[in-house]
Amino acid sequence: MSLVQFLIGLLIGLAFSLFWRMRFNQKLKRLLLALEIPGIDSALPLISRLRRGVTLANEQRQLLESEIQTWQEILQIAPCGFLMVDEENQLIWCNEQARQMLNIDRWEPGQVRLLLELVRSYELDVLIDQTRHQQQPIKQEWLFHTTYSNTETGEYQEHLIPKSLTIRATSLPLSKGRVGVFLENRQALVELSQAQNRWVSDLAHELRTPLTSIRLVAEALQDRLEPPLSRWVERLLPEVNRLISLVQDWLELSQLETDSSNHLRRQPLDLHTLICSVWQSLEPLYNAKNLKFNYFGPQSLSIEADESRLYRVFLNILDNSIKYSPEAGEIRVVFNIYPETGIPQFVEINIIDCGPGFPMSDLPYVFERLYRGDPSRKRQTTSTTESEGTIKSTTTGSGLGLAIVRQIILAHGGSVTAKNHPQTGGAWLKIELPFEKSVND
Amino acid sequence: MNSSPFNSPPERINFERSLRRLERDVLRMGALVEQSFRLCHQSLFNRDLAAAEEIPLIDKQIDQLYRQIELDCAALITLQAPVAQDVRLLSAYMQLVRDLERIGDYAQDLAEISVKLFPYPPHAYLSEIATMSHQAQAMLGMSLVALADLDAEAGSRVKQQDDVVDTAYETFYQRLAGQRDIQGVVEPILLLVLVIRHLERMADHATNIGQRVAYIVTGHRS
Repeated sequence: MSLVQFLIGLLIGLAFSLFWRMRFNQKLKRLLLALEIPGIDSALPLISRLRRGVTLANEQRQLLESEIQTWQEILQIAPCGFLMVDEENQLIWCNEQARQMLNIDRWEPGQVRLLLELVRSYELDVLIDQTRHQQQPIKQEWLFHTTYSNTETGEYQEHLIPKSLTIRATSLPLSKGRVGVFLENRQALVELSQAQNRWVSDLAHELRTPLTSIRLVAEALQDRLEPPLSRWVERLLPEVNRLISLVQDWLELSQLETDSSNHLRRQPLDLHTLICSVWQSLEPLYNAKNLKFNYFGPQSLSIEADESRLYRVFLNILDNSIKYSPEAGEIRVVFNIYPETGIPQFVEINIIDCGPGFPMSDLPYVFERLYRGDPSRKRQTTSTTESEGTIKSTTTGSGLGLAIVRQIILAHGGSVTAKNHPQTGGAWLKIELPFEKSVND
Repeated sequence: MNSSPFNSPPERINFERSLRRLERDVLRMGALVEQSFRLCHQSLFNRDLAAAEEIPLIDKQIDQLYRQIELDCAALITLQAPVAQDVRLLSAYMQLVRDLERIGDYAQDLAEISVKLFPYPPHAYLSEIATMSHQAQAMLGMSLVALADLDAEAGSRVKQQDDVVDTAYETFYQRLAGQRDIQGVVEPILLLVLVIRHLERMADHATNIGQRVAYIVTGHRS
């Protein structure tokens, strides 16, 4: 009897154990599937397969980890700054360059802190938000100011006046709301171009005084010398004059560039009268070529602007037009007011000639300093000036004319574009000047 | 900010997140105020009027952030019923943004003064007053760093700097007020007195911010 009871007990026990065994094996199989590792020999016992799977997974993980390590090392020594923030703008990681550029000195790798706690830059924070919002890379350049608190105590010291850096940031949206930002230090470039401009304007300044003396001496000589000696001085004088006006142009241009709108003396003026008086002053030039001047637009157009500067603009443009116009050509000036109904917002000034126009390849550069059209044609004009002596251009063809035009128009809050007119094939300069200021003042 | 997101109830995580957002807004506002201060310094001492023109725009953003932060603080206090350091943090934020906003307003005033001062030749004291302005800016920077780090000691250190600015104000006031035989109009002198007064007030507000940080951390008002 007891034996039967023992056997029944044993059977029940065996059944249970078998059942558990099967469930356990099933679980193991599922685990193995979850590991998702191919290439494990299915003939092996389950436990060894699992062990093998775990080893493989570990190996893979180590591989990936070293991969990440490599990338981080690459970013660490990259020549530009890089930082990464999570979806709440907390700094996750940044490289050495970024640390130096943004003065991140209160952060250790592994720490997660708000970027704003470490870098008080509103621009950077907004840039990151925008990138996340628009989900596309954004490029931005701004002036980053280092703070006073870089010293131990943050006390103000004379030699620790904060410096500013021009930084260009390129941001890119990453997964899970994270954002990466590349940072480039552009300070050196900005300083270089400033130094270049300053160098040129200083040089021009230094040249002006001796040049004026040379002209005075030459003028004094001119009266005292008899031919044939006086011929030498007569050739000298126009060259000196050309140099002087070149220097003047440089000075004016650099003055306009440094403080554009501060130096404008705005006053109400009539654009039509102004452009007509400019045309009158060019009479000897256009008469020699038999040029026609056609004006389309309102008879009076009042605007508030700096009269002498605008005079300069029209003079430079019309002088160019005359220079490049063929014999008996036409120069057309068209004024349009936009919008045509309601309160006028801006006036559009078109100046069109029938000359050869700008070479297509030069169009992007015509407003740059020292730009001159086709060099061969340029030399031609100079030679005629010298030989005939009658056609004298008021601007000297210094290559600064259009650069000055652009600076003056920009200072007025307007814009200027250059292209070739589809019908005449000549140069077509389009200036837009806003009325807005005159309404406000 | 220092408790881990694990084993916390979901409300707590939410609260932490709103706190962090709030902190970000406060720091953003701080950065804007600092920028505004920097611009008014430029327009005053470097005669850079373009800088003065930017300030009203920034001030608008500051005001907007100010209102928003105040509302958010009030909402968090009433809805989440925070305790201990959190409630100190929120109430301190509410007052601290007032200080920041005032500094922004003074910066705007200084920009207007710089426009009025522009036609006059630079005053002899101007470069010394620039030093005072640098000191005030350094104080603002220090208090903002203290706020970011929640560093009570750094917060209290701002107060020591305040004495320097106060002394500077006192001496400049005596020197400006005591001038005799003034040729021409007195407007530049009046304006300069206003400038040093504003700078002194800005430094005071920066000190307040530093002390509020100390209060957040320690719970004691000094």
